[in-house]
Amino acid sequence: MTDSVIVAKELRKRYGNHTVALDGASFAVGRGRIVGLMGPNGAGKTTALKAILGLTPFEGQLDVLGRDPRRERDSLMQDVCFIADVAVLPKWLRVNDAIEYVAGVHPRFHSARADAVLARTEIRRRSKISELSKGMITQLHLALIMAIDAKLLVLDEPTLGLDLLYRRAFYEALLNDYFDHERTILVTTHQVEEVENLLTDVLFINHGRIVLDSAIDDLPGRFVQLIANGDACEAARRLEPIYEREVFGRTAFVFEGRDATELAALGEIRTPSVADLFVAKMAGGAS
Amino acid sequence: MNAKSFLTLVKRETWEHRSLLWVPVVTAALIVLATIISTNVAGSIRLDVDLDVESAAFFGLLAADQMAQAKLFSIWMGSIGLPVLVVTIIVLFFYLLDALYIERKDRSILFWKSMPVSDSATVLSKLFTAMVAVPVWVWAVSLVMGLLTFVIIALKVSGSPIAPLGNFHLTAWLALQLTLLQNLFLASLWYAPIAGWLLLVSVWAKRAPFLWAVLPPALVILFEEIIFNTEYVAQLIGHRLIHYFEAASLGINVETGAGPQVILDSIANTYNEMSAASLLGELHLYSGLAVAAIFVLLAIRLRRWRDDA
Repeated sequence: MTDSVIVAKELRKRYGNHTVALDGASFAVGRGRIVGLMGPNGAGKTTALKAILGLTPFEGQLDVLGRDPRRERDSLMQDVCFIADVAVLPKWLRVNDAIEYVAGVHPRFHSARADAVLARTEIRRRSKISELSKGMITQLHLALIMAIDAKLLVLDEPTLGLDLLYRRAFYEALLNDYFDHERTILVTTHQVEEVENLLTDVLFINHGRIVLDSAIDDLPGRFVQLIANGDACEAARRLEPIYEREVFGRTAFVFEGRDATELAALGEIRTPSVADLFVAKMAGGAS
Repeated sequence: MNAKSFLTLVKRETWEHRSLLWVPVVTAALIVLATIISTNVAGSIRLDVDLDVESAAFFGLLAADQMAQAKLFSIWMGSIGLPVLVVTIIVLFFYLLDALYIERKDRSILFWKSMPVSDSATVLSKLFTAMVAVPVWVWAVSLVMGLLTFVIIALKVSGSPIAPLGNFHLTAWLALQLTLLQNLFLASLWYAPIAGWLLLVSVWAKRAPFLWAVLPPALVILFEEIIFNTEYVAQLIGHRLIHYFEAASLGINVETGAGPQVILDSIANTYNEMSAASLLGELHLYSGLAVAAIFVLLAIRLRRWRDDA
């Protein structure tokens, strides 16, 4: 794992005596990957991100760009950017001042790039954040982040509360104008369908543990979805599907590590979407 | 963190808390306005144009004594900016209380923490704003205000029996500006433990930072009074609050009916006591700085590890 940007081993974190946020999570993120960290609410996504960003104490080993975020956060933040949520730019800040601020404190910020991104929006330079719409605030935040030469970009639900047009534009800008195969992006989101086409890897987290860690390209080899005909269901169940559900009177099964040709006799074979797998893995983990 | 970054952080404070800059200006403007409107009051010195026998004698002496004139000039030029200082101290109190609290409340801390700015740089930039940047601003505003007020007064008193009050004393004025600047820095050092306490409360309180800043000391004072029947804590805090103004005294205390020479002597005394430099010889200044350092270090640590945004 020499070319890993993040290596996490046995991360543990609890809030108070009862809430376990991370329960031995281990994973690695390679350079130049776009990784989706997904899980249901309370699965430990945000805590994992906070650990990576050095925002919270935790137990276990964590290496981010060769540094320990607990001890070397100050130097780490030269190479890491994050967008935590749509609501974190302060209301009183002016667009101009936001640019001046980042230019003042970030040695790798290029004002001209931020200007170019902003020029394509309707954001006015004299506006205060409080005068911008939610979508515009995200555009501004993205413009600031995209103008920084960072090695790792962390996005925590970056498009929460935005309408479809802004969500699409956000990910398009990220992919077309920012991502260059040297940079690494780690993104959490609930809207699995919207990001699955841009991810290179998925990490599923549930109850503080990693339940799936795979490159998107490897998924078809690992998982098969079978739409079984009614009489084949019992045969399918004997092959230990990880998930089953009714679809328009037929039954859909998801199998892990089964040969597709072996299943083809039982019905229609498909590659499950990331959303299908998400449901399969999370429901499976809960039972 | 280089100088340019630090300057940006201080600028950021003035963007968020614009009142830090305009409150001193508005206060100064009101004083200038009051000087224009009022017929006989400037600062703490009454310009009593209906002279009685005693004050006529006093101004007679004053007209002949350049040195005494320069001292009186320094005293009223120095005291006229006092309201600006007092109002700014109140603004700074609330500024420090908000400085590390609002960013958690509006979750903007996650934006600030996404930048390569350490927690020590952030906390120190706020302390610097309160203890250096704003005092220098208050000094500059007071300097301009003093000159404007002087011109107005000089115009008002010219040709009257109290005309000596309208003489400008350049050397005394320059010396005064240095003294005032020095006094402002000494005030910052003297009040540093209070600033540190406010920053600590600001970074720690989940809500109602004002109550957290004021109630615990008040309760400690109360319990001490009830249980031990002593008031050491009250005296300690009271001394911290008022002693700076005892050290940099500006009042001319004379009994009514005092003779002209007594008043002149009193002016000379007050002039000699205007500098707060005597604080430098007091152990309390240094013990206060040590306490301030502890509060600030705790505030930095808490901001580093606090995880509730």
